Amino acid sequence: MRAWHILRSRLTSIVFRDRRESDLSEELRLHLERETERLQATGLSREEARLQALRLFGGVEQIKEAARDARGTGAWDALVRDTRHGLRRLLRDWRFTTAAVLILGIAIGANTAIFSVVNAVLFRKQTFADANRLVNIYQNDRSGKPMVVISYAAYMEMAEYTDIFSGTMASSIPNPVRYLAEGAVRNAVAEFSSANYLNVLGLQPSLGRWFDATEERRGAPLVAVLGHQAWTRLFHADPSIVGRVIRMEGLPVTIIGVGPANLRGTLDVGLGTDFWLPITAVPELISPMGALRDAPTILAPLFVKARLRDGVTVAQARAAMDVLARRLADEYPDAFRNSGEFALGPGITVIPSTDVRVHPQADVPFMALASIVLFIVGLVLAIACSNLATLLLVRGAARAKEVSVRLAMGATRRQLVRHLLIESLLLSLAGGIVGCVLAWWGMRALQTIDLPFRVDMHVDYRVLAFAIVLSLITGVVFGLAPAIKATRVDLLQTLRDEGLQPIDHRRLTLKNALIVVQVAISVLLLGGTSIFLQATAATRALRVGYAVDGVAMLETDWRFAGYSESAAKTAQDDLLRRIEAIPGVESAALLRGLPMVSTGMSIVVDSATGQPGSEVEFHMLEAGPGFFDTLRIPLLYGRVFDARDRADSPRVAVITETMARKYFGAVDAVGRRFRLKADPNSWTEVIGIVRDTGTGDFEDDVLAPIGPTYYRSYTQSGAQATTVLARTSRDAASLIAAMQRELRAVDITLPAITAKTMAQRLEESQTAPAVVATLFAILAGLGLVLASIGLYAVVAFAVARRSREIGIRMALGARSQQVVSSIARGVAALIAVGTGIGLFFTVLLMLVMRAGGGSADVGIGHMSVYRPSIDPLALLGIAAVTALVGVAAAFVPARRATRLHPLVALRHE
Amino acid sequence: MNDRSDVLQGTLDMLVLRALQLEPMHGWGIAERIEHWSEHVLQLGQGTLYPGLYRLERQNFIRSEWRITDNNRRARYYSLTARGRKYLNESLEQWRRVSRAINLVLDAVN
Amino acid sequence: MSDQTDVLQGTLDLLILRTIALEPMHGWAIAQRINQISDELLRVQQGSLYPALHRLEHQGWITAEWGASENNRRARFYAVTKAGRKQLATEVEKWERLSAGVNLLLQRT
Repeated sequence: MRAWHILRSRLTSIVFRDRRESDLSEELRLHLERETERLQATGLSREEARLQALRLFGGVEQIKEAARDARGTGAWDALVRDTRHGLRRLLRDWRFTTAAVLILGIAIGANTAIFSVVNAVLFRKQTFADANRLVNIYQNDRSGKPMVVISYAAYMEMAEYTDIFSGTMASSIPNPVRYLAEGAVRNAVAEFSSANYLNVLGLQPSLGRWFDATEERRGAPLVAVLGHQAWTRLFHADPSIVGRVIRMEGLPVTIIGVGPANLRGTLDVGLGTDFWLPITAVPELISPMGALRDAPTILAPLFVKARLRDGVTVAQARAAMDVLARRLADEYPDAFRNSGEFALGPGITVIPSTDVRVHPQADVPFMALASIVLFIVGLVLAIACSNLATLLLVRGAARAKEVSVRLAMGATRRQLVRHLLIESLLLSLAGGIVGCVLAWWGMRALQTIDLPFRVDMHVDYRVLAFAIVLSLITGVVFGLAPAIKATRVDLLQTLRDEGLQPIDHRRLTLKNALIVVQVAISVLLLGGTSIFLQATAATRALRVGYAVDGVAMLETDWRFAGYSESAAKTAQDDLLRRIEAIPGVESAALLRGLPMVSTGMSIVVDSATGQPGSEVEFHMLEAGPGFFDTLRIPLLYGRVFDARDRADSPRVAVITETMARKYFGAVDAVGRRFRLKADPNSWTEVIGIVRDTGTGDFEDDVLAPIGPTYYRSYTQSGAQATTVLARTSRDAASLIAAMQRELRAVDITLPAITAKTMAQRLEESQTAPAVVATLFAILAGLGLVLASIGLYAVVAFAVARRSREIGIRMALGARSQQVVSSIARGVAALIAVGTGIGLFFTVLLMLVMRAGGGSADVGIGHMSVYRPSIDPLALLGIAAVTALVGVAAAFVPARRATRLHPLVALRHE
Repeated sequence: MNDRSDVLQGTLDMLVLRALQLEPMHGWGIAERIEHWSEHVLQLGQGTLYPGLYRLERQNFIRSEWRITDNNRRARYYSLTARGRKYLNESLEQWRRVSRAINLVLDAVN
Repeated sequence: MSDQTDVLQGTLDLLILRTIALEPMHGWAIAQRINQISDELLRVQQGSLYPALHRLEHQGWITAEWGASENNRRARFYAVTKAGRKQLATEVEKWERLSAGVNLLLQRT
């Protein structure tokens, strides 16, 4: 009861302190008045009475102070006072304060920004209604692991299990699609899903409706649902979007609704889906996938989710699916016999949706990637923290004298530690605030970068809170240690002399250790940057294999202008002729899709004599006569396409040397035959062998080993050629304008979807790794800057400490060089050790990457890790850069030392 | 004392000096004497007694010297100085006045 | 005399509580009353009065309020609470024990 009252009194005193103060002042004033009057009554004059009263009273301020203490607000007042004092102190040492705040701010800001991005891409999960009733279903491969593809027939069977599932749906992986908006062709991402997609997820459209079963039918008019984020971003949340018809991939699609606000896409990776279309629209918009219903055993990249009925457990669902799996194995024995990459196995995996992010097989490398990124950022944070620690330590040591004096004058150790601690906390708080500002600003900057995928980024407040807490902890931990150390100073020792210990680089002091750590980490980051630059350069040089200079491309889409197949054929020939007629053009050709991006991956059966042989997956490009000439791809054997190859002549193909070697046993495979798996009548004869080329897409080149490719002519397959390539002896950039003119001359309504030079295309495909390399470089640079600040501080402090010694030395005739050299030796040792350690770890990293590099099968394809070569020149360069920076940092204070006038140095205390 | 020691610092001085009025004593003996004479109402802890003795000696109200006790042990004996005697008398007078005044306040009925 | 101050400091709480237990008073009046009753023997060091008052208030033994005194002047009045009265009783008992003990000691020869 008493305690409660005391607490309440204390709080009231704090809250109403102003009123309390004024009350007390007034009360005392009134008291004094009365006392004065009383004394006056005894005969004294007013003046004398007043003086007497005051004397009797005692010091008013002391009384107020005592009263305040009695009220129990002493502690709070002391805190406020200490804080104000601490602030004044920090402002006085503004150089140190600025450095410390900046360091902490940058570290926290970078950390927050990058972590927010990683969080957005990798960690944020969407929540669906009753998410723990949802399961993901996959068909397994031969080894029992879930695949990314599934056969539509199997999906249909699963949907039949209505006693287990209250609903099943399938959705494709996000596909790039192009649509026409405001006269320009834009890129978007679309998923093809079943009609009960939303039902299974338990969501409602925010506008309009989802497509229904009647629209999920081959040949039905095309409809689409717009994603909520896309609706806001691309269509400005215009409510009249429902019912509008837009042209997608050249076809009219009616928007019938807008998706729920919290639905970003089926995959939980921060990639947003813009449109949802019925799954049956696939063959029309993305033709190579084929008619799914008609080819039950063809495996398509679909994700199946189902909602368990009430009362049904995951175990029961698994049991039911096992039964289904066995039945499928019995009914479709052929499907399980193929030996291709996606070898279907007899088994079905059922996993609760909440346990999966993207795919059970992909989640691990995914998370590994995220962890690596976080680790790197953590490194920068480590540098920043150790840097801050160094600064605080140095400062603490520099203030030893002041501390001793204060201790001698009666301050308790507790008080001093509290003072220093408050200063550290103020610093870290300021650093945290700066960090927040930098993070927010950094995120804005990041959002302006055009990335190939869309990431919903904003500053994650949890991360911000974490960062601020981290900064406070850093401040406390690294402020407390020096504070305690400083107050433990031997009074007499410090007051008497200046502690003439030299900066002993041999001793393992904390300061030295921190510097070494910072230098080492900086070197490691530089090493990482160099590895990345190496990788980028290597891939760039690696697999082009075709002419880049002087080549330009123009891509259009006949369907956008409403061309029929036959009309398109005429038009594309017309276009080709016109382009060839442009002055300066040496060669031109037509192509389906963009150059070197395969337009289809077909499973091919190899046969020399008609017997089914091995089944493999190949890249296929549809190019016309003149293609190889235009791109200067060397022909090794046989011939390329020409006018002989028409729709009614026997099918022919040109294959690459790798394909020839691997599947026909010899590079000269002219005359050999193969067919498409899906079509028994598609026997194709090999008429020519060409050299391998890269795909021109960095990701493809890194993620997939060079794929065997075959080329067929669009003149035979009847595909619409959408791109015209041309090579000129003159400047490729100027060619583009001419090509666009010719396109408009053919038909003014045809859109120029892509118009660039081959060189530009290659550049662009390397944005992602370029961005990463830049990021690395920035981090490395940051680390180096921080390390140099730390070095500067340490050296400056050492110089200050030894200034007396230096002064004496110089007065005794030592030359400045000698003095500087002794300091320099200490610094050099630190830098050398740090660089050595850093290089050691860098080389270690390279060795690890080499060992683990190469291809690895991770179930969803191949993944290869770059194998860096250990380039001694690069390592030397890193060491040189670090050394240079370190020397520069130490140079300034060292130089200042030599400029000291001996008298000044001696007087320095 | 088992009261607030700051209250009775002055009173403590007086009690110690009174205890020494009869004859010199060592510290422990002083504490015992005080306790005994007040019939156990006033109990002195070492933390209170020795700082008090030190203070009194510094102000020259008492002096001390090493002696051998009855059981052949070395102990510091304290004794009153002339100054101390004078101070004691003044303190006694003071105490009588003050305690009477306090009681007056406490008994005031008005 | 330092003795006076010391004893007084220690018993100040007691004296204050006792004084205003009779009737609520303002600070100056308390000092006057104690002076009067004790025949000028106890001159309350006015500087120590207010910290003591604040301490007593903080502990919840007295309350304070602005009011009008005789001749209608503004003043802050202090009054004893129920808990304060209990505390007063405790303090009185402590004092009586103490003074009894000291007196015993002083009477011994």
